[in-house]
Amino acid sequence: MNLKINKILFCFLFILPFFLYSQSKEINLFEKKILQEKAVQFNGENNFVKAQSFYLKKDWDSTLVYSMKQLSVSENKNLSDYCHYFRGQCFFNKKFYKEAQNELSLISEKFELSHMKNFVLGVTHLETKKLNKALEYFQLAEKQSITVKDLKYLSNIYSGLGTTYIFLKQYSLAEKYLLKNISLCEKYQNNDKTSNAYTNLAALYYELYKDDLAIFYYTKSYNLSQKSKDFKLKNLTSFNMSIVEENRGNLKKALEYRKEADQWKDSANNQNKIWAIAELEKKFAVAQKQKQIKVLKVENQLKNNQRNGLFVSAIVLLLLLTSGVYFYAQKVKNAKTILIQRNKLDQLNNHKDQLFSIVSHDLRSSVNALKTSNSKLSDSLQTKNYEQLNQLITQNSSIANDTYSLLDNLLHWAMLQTKQLYFHKESVHLYSIVQQIEYNYKSLLQEKEIRFENLVPKNIFLFVDLDSLKIIFRNLLDNAIKFSKQNGEIRFYTAEVNSEFLQIIIEDSGIGMSENTISELLQDSETLVKKNNSEIIGTGLGLQLCKQMTAKNGGTFSIESEINKGTKIILTLPKIK
Amino acid sequence: MDNINVLIIEDTPAQSDALIKVLLENNYTVAGVARDFTSALKLFYECSVDVIIIDVFLDGKPDGITFAESINIIPNASKPFVFLTSSQDRQIFERAKLTKPFSFLMKPFNELEILYAIEMAVEKFYEQTNVFLSEEQNTVVSNDFLFIKKKNALKKVALNDILYIEVEERYCNIVTEKEKFVILISLTKISELLDKAKFLRIHRNTIVNSDKIEEIILADNLIILKGNHKINLGDTYKDFIKKMNILS
Repeated sequence: MNLKINKILFCFLFILPFFLYSQSKEINLFEKKILQEKAVQFNGENNFVKAQSFYLKKDWDSTLVYSMKQLSVSENKNLSDYCHYFRGQCFFNKKFYKEAQNELSLISEKFELSHMKNFVLGVTHLETKKLNKALEYFQLAEKQSITVKDLKYLSNIYSGLGTTYIFLKQYSLAEKYLLKNISLCEKYQNNDKTSNAYTNLAALYYELYKDDLAIFYYTKSYNLSQKSKDFKLKNLTSFNMSIVEENRGNLKKALEYRKEADQWKDSANNQNKIWAIAELEKKFAVAQKQKQIKVLKVENQLKNNQRNGLFVSAIVLLLLLTSGVYFYAQKVKNAKTILIQRNKLDQLNNHKDQLFSIVSHDLRSSVNALKTSNSKLSDSLQTKNYEQLNQLITQNSSIANDTYSLLDNLLHWAMLQTKQLYFHKESVHLYSIVQQIEYNYKSLLQEKEIRFENLVPKNIFLFVDLDSLKIIFRNLLDNAIKFSKQNGEIRFYTAEVNSEFLQIIIEDSGIGMSENTISELLQDSETLVKKNNSEIIGTGLGLQLCKQMTAKNGGTFSIESEINKGTKIILTLPKIK
Repeated sequence: MDNINVLIIEDTPAQSDALIKVLLENNYTVAGVARDFTSALKLFYECSVDVIIIDVFLDGKPDGITFAESINIIPNASKPFVFLTSSQDRQIFERAKLTKPFSFLMKPFNELEILYAIEMAVEKFYEQTNVFLSEEQNTVVSNDFLFIKKKNALKKVALNDILYIEVEERYCNIVTEKEKFVILISLTKISELLDKAKFLRIHRNTIVNSDKIEEIILADNLIILKGNHKINLGDTYKDFIKKMNILS
């Protein structure tokens, strides 16, 4: 019998830590509710929120870290209570009972989860075999849990009390609490707990040698455990049953139970292995996932690259398109310019042809005149008619002069058109230039008995190109002589305009011209006017040249005329500063 | 007063003859006529020349400009040029422009144009423009000569020959050892243009050539020049004596 008791005691002692451990394995609903409320209440306190969430996940180490952080920062009494509570629970779960006791004893009186705290304190004292202390805490916990109406938790406390009384050998009290425990367990707790409760009671009865009751509860426990998934529990109940049968002398049954127990033990071990395998699988799955993530990343990168490529090619295409459009526009523009230029060239070419024909016509007639005059000259020589000779020679030289000035104008006009003319503005003494021009026309003036007057003041200096000024004066004087009658008068004089410009007026008393002719002559177009006056050689080239040369010198050109009274050509040219 | 010496560089005899005729008629001296580049250089160094008339094209080549260019590189050798040309080819002009100062004459030209061109060349060369044709002045001052316009022609007077210059209203009396004549220029202007170390202002109205001073009699405020010309010394102008190297 002694041996039997020992066996049961051994088995009983085996139960207790297991039972307590399983207690804390699942989080009490009551506790969870309060903790979540607290987390909401102290939303700002990150460390606390983290500590409680780790606590609920049973990650004890992290809970310890964050609760410590919270303790070091926070002054709030309530929060530190919870932190101490977390720490106590953690140490308890890690089986550091002394530390658990220290932490839990720091919690203040007004703590919402006092009954749990006291229960845990009780268990730690029980574990350290301070049975009286344990009893004290359990009783305190019992009272508190009744006041907060956590009946479910009460069963744990009763179980603790029962166990304590067993150790104190107060079996009747132990029985009372264990029975209470069973009744609560049947009401509120799951099968495993109930099964445990039965086992505890059975153990008690065994101790009291109430074998029938013990066997009854062992059997009950065994039956309940059949529904459980907990292999350890199954192993335990089977093992107990085998001892019960062994004691009854039913060795065959005992052996069966022992075998079953062994089987459950193996299963428990297997389960461990399975867990390990599951762990491995999990790791493998994680690795797989990691791989997948990598693949996805690479894919993403590829996609990104592809997208970038597309983007770049789109931009390149756009650029090509715009440049294409630009070049097309440019081409169109060029074509337009070319067209305009071509039209202008055509026009110019027409002018040139026109000029060509006029000039060649004029040249032809003057050379022809020279020819006839020359033949007359040789006739006169042969007939020794010397009186006529002089007149013929004068006529010849005047024809030659006209032709020369025509050709000279033509040359200058061509050079002006091709922009080959040398043009250099300098200080020019107006009076001297007029004198120089007059010098060349002295004989013509005398012939027509025209009175020439140079009324230009001697202190006037112009800022013009000398040769173009000479061309202008030559043409104007030439015209003035041409259109003057016998005994006419030609005058060069000036009029001040302002400090920068000077008017030079060339006035004759010739045949004059109509408004129409003036406007035709002053027209900006470069077309040449064939004059009505067919007797006098002229192409209008001279006047065109004068206009262009004056403009080039920065001056203006105007005509005032009255028919049969005379013409005034008014030039405005810059003075030297 | 001396005539201006003109060097003619012209390959066509008809042209040069016409030129010579005009120049002689107007009291210029023709220093020589060169037909080509080398003889032109030779004549230029042999004769004393005041003005050069150059045909741009000598025998179809623009040697006239080449000549002007080669004269121009020699320091202090250059003289006033008048270019003769029948072409208004821009390139030739651009090239000739580099040998500034210059004056151009387009063929065919008349007498007046030649004279005008020569005057212009002298004015431009000595950088005293608008002198000869203005009514205020008729003299251009160079380092060695006064170029004076008398009627239609230019004349020159060597500065070394001048004894003193005396102002008389708008005119200046120039007195040399041999003659005395009047030019149109203000005393301020002429004293600016003359070498101040050589020509000294000794009176409000008088500038003397220091080389010609024979004696200074401070007691009588008198300066005696070569040829026994006696000039009054103005009180405010005595400072010049300090600048002279006096042998005691």
